[in-house]
Amino acid sequence: MTLEDEAQAPAPSSIELDFQDVSYDADAPVKGQGRMDSAWGSSQGDEVNTAQVAPSKDTTGFIFEQVYQPWNGTLNPRWMRNWAILRHHVAGIFRKGHRPWSIPTRLFLVVVFIASLADVGLTLLSALIGSADLHSVWGVNRDNLYGHVLGFFPRNVLYFPIVAALLVGGVISEDRLHGTSALYFSRPINRFDYVMMKYLSVAIIQAMIVLLTLCLYYFSEIISMGRGWAWIIDTFPQFIAAFIGGTLLIITYTSIGLGLSSVSKGKFFPGIGLIAIVLGTKTLAIIVSQLFDREILYLLSPYDCLAHVGQTIIGTQPTYNQYSWTWSLASLVVMNALSLYVLSSRVSSMEVTRE
Amino acid sequence: MADDYIIKTSNLSKSYGPHMALENLNLKVERGATGLLGPNGAGKSTFLKTILGLIQATSGEGTVLGHDIRTDGAAIRSRIGYMPEYEALNPDMDAIYQVRYSGELLGMNPVVAMSRAHDALQYVGLGEQRYRNIGSFSTGMKQATKLACAIIHDPELIIADEPSNGLDSVAREFMITTLQNTVNTGNRSVLMASHLMDDVERVCDNIVLLHKGKLAAQGRIEDLKDIDREIEIHVWGGATKLEESMAKAGLTVRREGRIMRIQHIGEDTTTLILKCAAESGAQIRRMHEYEASLEDLFLVIMENLGYEVKTSEDLLRSPIKARQVDAPKSMGGGSS
Repeated sequence: MTLEDEAQAPAPSSIELDFQDVSYDADAPVKGQGRMDSAWGSSQGDEVNTAQVAPSKDTTGFIFEQVYQPWNGTLNPRWMRNWAILRHHVAGIFRKGHRPWSIPTRLFLVVVFIASLADVGLTLLSALIGSADLHSVWGVNRDNLYGHVLGFFPRNVLYFPIVAALLVGGVISEDRLHGTSALYFSRPINRFDYVMMKYLSVAIIQAMIVLLTLCLYYFSEIISMGRGWAWIIDTFPQFIAAFIGGTLLIITYTSIGLGLSSVSKGKFFPGIGLIAIVLGTKTLAIIVSQLFDREILYLLSPYDCLAHVGQTIIGTQPTYNQYSWTWSLASLVVMNALSLYVLSSRVSSMEVTRE
Repeated sequence: MADDYIIKTSNLSKSYGPHMALENLNLKVERGATGLLGPNGAGKSTFLKTILGLIQATSGEGTVLGHDIRTDGAAIRSRIGYMPEYEALNPDMDAIYQVRYSGELLGMNPVVAMSRAHDALQYVGLGEQRYRNIGSFSTGMKQATKLACAIIHDPELIIADEPSNGLDSVAREFMITTLQNTVNTGNRSVLMASHLMDDVERVCDNIVLLHKGKLAAQGRIEDLKDIDREIEIHVWGGATKLEESMAKAGLTVRREGRIMRIQHIGEDTTTLILKCAAESGAQIRRMHEYEASLEDLFLVIMENLGYEVKTSEDLLRSPIKARQVDAPKSMGGGSS
């Protein structure tokens, strides 16, 4: 008998079926009665208007009163939001509670900062011991000012490109990786402010290494050697030129680095990419220059373009002789423009709902 | 009253090249909790981005909390709290600092933001975990932290994108309760996009249903569910006779074996059913009002009515489409 047939069967005259007839022995005929009982429950006791209810689960040990706390404060304008981004990134270098820079990054910054003060220390030492020879090597002059910001070894091999790579690597790419871009763009922060503040943050940290140490170097000479107004008036243009050279270096490394960071989802690629571009193009240009006596490839090297422009504005002996410094300046402009274009286009496509 | 609507759009359209992501959307979202539903690709994300003022609508107009979505994006984002679906937290930061930073990004003074971060984390149940690294949080705790980030400035409207996604039952229960409290005791509005119909049904009074960029339905959940009001009976013996008897009495019956659903046509529907049963000699073992779940409603609209339906009135005018009942086949039902 099928279920449908069962359904069509006349209703039992009484709901009190004799379930004693149902046999569960191994040789009992299979007639569906047992399954029906399981499906519909026993008809016995249908008349009883009581129900067995499972006891509710006890909840223990959780004391928590959820109270919504309203807030009637006023939100500050745009400059305060931008300051928050800047502060978050820069203060993160110094203390907990802001952007968590990694311990190796912070350690490296400290090491480079101290190493960048080598000329300050030796200037002070030469003044203390009155050594003219030592001072002629380490004291403030055109070549040393140039060397402080744009010297190739060790500063533009071991210090500044690596500092820039460590800083810019994760600044935007980690927002993509962690989805924290949604945190920014679901707030009243536009993309320009987002990029500008991140750019400034990274540039400020680099400036502490490159420009702050330059200033300390210059002022340590004035203080330790008791320089007068005449000396200051003589050398201040050189100092300003070195300052501009250092600023150009920070801008260029930051632009390229952030451009790479914006196309990535991690800090490794942008970091390695920046170092590879700075040192790779330099190496290639040296090889070509040495083999074929052609310097034109230096135009592809960010460091060499910076060095060429820096040599010109500071007034040191030029090491690039086959083309004008204006070509290097134009190349720098193009490099920065390209990097900023990549940066802006990638940031403008960053999503809030999905990344 | 116009002020009762927190979101209003008029013929809002957004296209990406030839693809229409949103098409002539006319919405009015009331204060309170509203569920934003729709299958993948329905346009939910585009809609959220448009009302946040992050992308420009191709045509049409809209306001959120009275601000024009075309020109006042920043003002809108100051007054709403957005809880993204995906990861949006820095795993290397402590929860308290992450929430504080989210407040600072809104323009809060750092000291005030810190104070509010404590309140918000306490509210979402992370009071004791404030100084823990987010990377060590469970999914539920991360969701709660995202909610804390969203409510730090006590926004009038909270947009929660899949708030209970990936949560276990305890965390999900807590998230739903928290959203309910935010609406009921905090008197804030919530726009909740979710695929979990149960959650939407528990938190929200209203729904907006999108399909292929168009508005499929909007209105109160209770109103929309009324379109499918039926009475379910389990019959013992004489089912065919009863079915015939009820059909003669003018009742619309859907039958699967011994289970029948009769369309509710008035207060005397149950009396009529019992009368038919008495006449046909069939026993009715169970009788109860069959309440369609939101999921049923969603499926009916999506599969049978599609996006031609604009409002709940249209739905009420449309014929009820037959659906399989939920009894297993072994019991005479149609589902497995």
